[in-house]
Amino acid sequence: MTPGIRQLYAPRRVSVEADSEGVPLTVEGVVVAAVREEWVVEDRWWTLRRLWRHYFELVLTDGRDLVVFRSSSGRWFRQRA
Amino acid sequence: MGADAPYVELHTHSAFSFLDGASTPMELAGAAGQLGYSAFALTDHNGIWGSMEFAHACKGFGVRPITGAEVTVGEAHLTLLAESAAGYRNLCRLLTEAHSHTRDNTARTAGQPGVGMEQLEAHAAGLVCLSGCAGDGAVVGPWARGEATEGVALARRLLAAFGHDRFRIELQRPYWRHDRARNRWLSGLAERLGVPCVATGNVHSHDRCRTHLQDALVAVRLGTTLEASEPLRRGNSSSALATPQGMATRFVEYPEAVAETLRLAERLRFDLTADLGYSYPGAENPDADRQLAAICQKLLEERYANSDRAAKASARLEDELQTIRIRGLSGFFLLHRDLLELAREVALEVRGPASARSIMPPGRGRGSSVSSIVCFLTGLSHIDPVERDLFSGRFLNAEVNEDTVAPDIDLDFPRDIREKLIPRVHDRYGADRSALVAAFPTYRPRGAVRDLGKALALPPAEIERVAKTVGFHESSGEIERDVVAAIGAERAASRGWQVLIELTGEAMGLPRHASQHSGGMVISTQPLIDVCPVVPAAMEGRQIVQWDKDSCSDAGFLKVDLLGLGMLSAVERCVEEVDRTRGRRLDLSRIDFEDPQTFESIQAAETTGVFQIESRAQMQMLPRTRPEDLDDLTVQVALVRPGPIQGGAVHPYIERRKRLREDPTYEIPYEHQLLEPALKETLGAIVYQEQVLEVAVDLADFTHAEADGLRRAMSRKRSQEAIDEFHDRFLVGAVGANEVPLDVAERVWQQIQGFSGFGFPKAHSAAFGLLAYQSAWLRIHYGPEFLCALLNEQPMGFYPPDALAHEAQRRGVRLAPPDVNRSRVLCHVETPQQAPAEPELRGGRIVRIGLGYVKGVREKEMASLVAERRRSGPYREIADLASRSGVSGADLERLAWAGALDGLTGDVPVERGPYGHRSTGTSGRREALWEVGVVGTARRNMQGAQMALPLQAPDAPALKPLGEWEEMIADYRSTGMTLGEHPLALMRAGLDPELVRSTDLEKIDDGTIVEVGGMVVARQRPETAGGIVFVLLEDERGTVNLIVPPPVYDRHRAEVRTSPLIRAKGRLERREGTTNVLVSEVRELERTQLREVVPPGHSWGRRDRESQKRPRRSAHSIDRD
Repeated sequence: MTPGIRQLYAPRRVSVEADSEGVPLTVEGVVVAAVREEWVVEDRWWTLRRLWRHYFELVLTDGRDLVVFRSSSGRWFRQRA
Repeated sequence: MGADAPYVELHTHSAFSFLDGASTPMELAGAAGQLGYSAFALTDHNGIWGSMEFAHACKGFGVRPITGAEVTVGEAHLTLLAESAAGYRNLCRLLTEAHSHTRDNTARTAGQPGVGMEQLEAHAAGLVCLSGCAGDGAVVGPWARGEATEGVALARRLLAAFGHDRFRIELQRPYWRHDRARNRWLSGLAERLGVPCVATGNVHSHDRCRTHLQDALVAVRLGTTLEASEPLRRGNSSSALATPQGMATRFVEYPEAVAETLRLAERLRFDLTADLGYSYPGAENPDADRQLAAICQKLLEERYANSDRAAKASARLEDELQTIRIRGLSGFFLLHRDLLELAREVALEVRGPASARSIMPPGRGRGSSVSSIVCFLTGLSHIDPVERDLFSGRFLNAEVNEDTVAPDIDLDFPRDIREKLIPRVHDRYGADRSALVAAFPTYRPRGAVRDLGKALALPPAEIERVAKTVGFHESSGEIERDVVAAIGAERAASRGWQVLIELTGEAMGLPRHASQHSGGMVISTQPLIDVCPVVPAAMEGRQIVQWDKDSCSDAGFLKVDLLGLGMLSAVERCVEEVDRTRGRRLDLSRIDFEDPQTFESIQAAETTGVFQIESRAQMQMLPRTRPEDLDDLTVQVALVRPGPIQGGAVHPYIERRKRLREDPTYEIPYEHQLLEPALKETLGAIVYQEQVLEVAVDLADFTHAEADGLRRAMSRKRSQEAIDEFHDRFLVGAVGANEVPLDVAERVWQQIQGFSGFGFPKAHSAAFGLLAYQSAWLRIHYGPEFLCALLNEQPMGFYPPDALAHEAQRRGVRLAPPDVNRSRVLCHVETPQQAPAEPELRGGRIVRIGLGYVKGVREKEMASLVAERRRSGPYREIADLASRSGVSGADLERLAWAGALDGLTGDVPVERGPYGHRSTGTSGRREALWEVGVVGTARRNMQGAQMALPLQAPDAPALKPLGEWEEMIADYRSTGMTLGEHPLALMRAGLDPELVRSTDLEKIDDGTIVEVGGMVVARQRPETAGGIVFVLLEDERGTVNLIVPPPVYDRHRAEVRTSPLIRAKGRLERREGTTNVLVSEVRELERTQLREVVPPGHSWGRRDRESQKRPRRSAHSIDRD
């Protein structure tokens, strides 16, 4: 990234426990109360930086609404919706 | 498995959604069958273009096809599915209305189709309506915009129109951000309305591997890049076809919506392959049999009065009429006769009653219908099938079964007559009862590279380099080689180019858009729009059905082909020009058909410009087959086709013909004696399409209908399975019933299957052979007029105008460049009587190039220039021309560049060049350009043209004259041809002296290694030639045939495909009057070799720019593959 420029809403690594289908059960130890939305983004496949993300909009038991995604590498990130 | 599948797909787009679907109907049907779908709906955008193909394909895979479309209502989408025949009729009418105003703009470019709610409500019966897709659905769209109330109101209106039985709320799960919220709202709405939800997949490809292509096609459709089209793409690969179980899982929260797919599918029983309800036109006329018989009988008596063929003709007529009665086709023939009468009226209007053309028939038959005596008598064919012994079984037979299709009647017309006839047919039979057949241009490598390269945002210069290098028929593996040849291995290995290579391979063969067939027309006595949607064509006054010729054939439509044939136009132009210049009216049906001079030229392959036998392949064959009469020409025309070539007929025919010439007692070695009756006239080889039928009948006991089914299966790409079945049937018939040895039966079958590429029926060949002879005869006896006609009818034939002109010059025909005081708009022949004082005529005729040949000039302005000259006399000087003609400054400049103003500059023209042409060789063009720049010229405004004042230009300063090379460049830039020195003649002094001239090849021994150089006139890479490229080179004395084998082509792709001037080294091969160079090395003619002949001060940079700008260079090096 160009020095002096900061990416807004950059994804941040987050620890997620998921079930066998890949649906989050907990986020950073907080239990998922409900999955509000689930979507998939596949883009830039024609470049060397292809993107594949499986998104979940979750409601946690502590009342927070949270968007997380799993990347093609299997790692989880949190992103501001 | 299909019966147990938990889900039926009711919303699918194929590539016939045009750039919004990445699989063919065949691929979708195959995948549906493989995944276990019991039924499957195709719902392309605003059309059923691919539905007939899909329906037939589905049946082959055990899937029940459902017919529907995603229709644009207002700005949004609804999914409509045909439940019954009435529903299908309504769908066709709605789709017709949706397209009816799409080309109302002045440029007639295609706009967005769509219907209003009122139209939808009026045509709701028999249709099931789903509420639309997740992105643009009519009901969900307002919800997404925050206007849910509007969506609810629309849903209630749809419910009122379709009722509870036939309206469903459509749920989709494309894995987009708001899927769950959207489906929650939709299911709630369904509950409030009291209608079920139904799940659909909105499929856009048959497999996940095509989802990238789908993305790219969206970008192509939007005319933008993949990057910029992100919001409008599918976003992920969930639009690929999934298994029924997978779809049930995807909608696990809505099991009832999944179950509803099965319930709906059970009701959607309309079958496009069986329930179309089409009947032959004229079938409603109970008196048609009697009327047709009476007409034919009367004409028979007239045509065969005092003929020794009368009895045979009478028996033949009786037999054909009987078949026509059995097939219920009398009304069809009467309708076509009526059509021909209409064509006569149109021809009279177009030609004028006093024209030399007026004695010619309005058109000519082609195709298998030429074999019919009914067609001959009623004027639908011009060849006597009794005299020429033509077999009519391919056109018409009495056996009717599920494979039986309606016969086709094909008619060729001169272009000007056809252009007027088509709208008149619409007028005569009604816009709702006649339409042209559609055609679907499919992606080929060059177009795919350009479209997809732009979507991938690859550098435009690289895209163009690659596009110019790739060939028409190349496979994806070859495309990669082309990319490497064009831009180098390093760039070709980049991610962008690798993706493009992959996508290009996948896109190949997918339809890109709808177009009109070259002339196929469907005419019906019931409204056509009840059986297939009819949409406006790009050309004004024309409309097309949404099916191509295969689908029309599957539908059983009776089709007539009204084709425009350039050579027919050229022949008619020639007849008119002969009348004008010599006062001689030619009746081409009464010329000497055994003229020795004409046959000598044909046997010597001096056939440039002659219909059908002018190609490189024909010219190679003519000296070996040596046609001696019209029957030989009939075989000749049929021989150089993919069918006979792939069926292995060519070499045996040539060899046996030669043996017979040398030894008239030579016995033809037939594969089996049962084949002799069918193949005797073609010396044991299968040359004609009907011979396939006859061989199947004679050797394997096929019925005529079975044999016709075999022919049709072979002529269509989607019938391999059917061909395999016929193969088994053939072997059983030949070996079992006729005791033909298995190896012989297999060999004959291989010949038949090889033939499946494409072949002519004999009747078609006879019609074309006749025109080939007539054009050869005109070329021999009326050379200038014939050349003039060819130049005026371009584009047509194998050679560009430049090559036609050079060839004519080599045989003594004289041409002259455009001249504002001599030329007309079109090319014409000047005679000594017309200009007795002109020294350059030398007592002969000269083909004067027309002003319309100058690129970029407006035809109207040239017509007014010529009219003013006729009215008030020749132009005296450029100021006089500018003030009197009303031609704009830009067009005067174009004329000046072309040398058309040279005669007004005061320079004395001199003779130069090898052919005695007129060329100034002075500062004429530069001076003319200077004067055009300083005199006032006409200005155009809304009211018309404001003429310039006739102010004389001051004397021009001393201007450096154009050099020969510059003049040649100016000729090519302005007219696409040069009549002066050939480029090779200008270059010769600077070329390697080892380069052999074309005419000197005759003096060199067979097998010698030679090197030749020249301008590329044509390149061909026929699919039937196993990768060999044929190049025709032209130098200042003639032409050379190059054969470039695949390894050499692979090494020199860029040079072979793109260089306008090349040198080639290889072995000279001389066989039976033909000379070729088998190439081992190709190079571009190098600049260093040219420098010596370039005038001092010439700028290479400038020449390069000119060459790049010169559009005719690419046209000059035409691709004919």
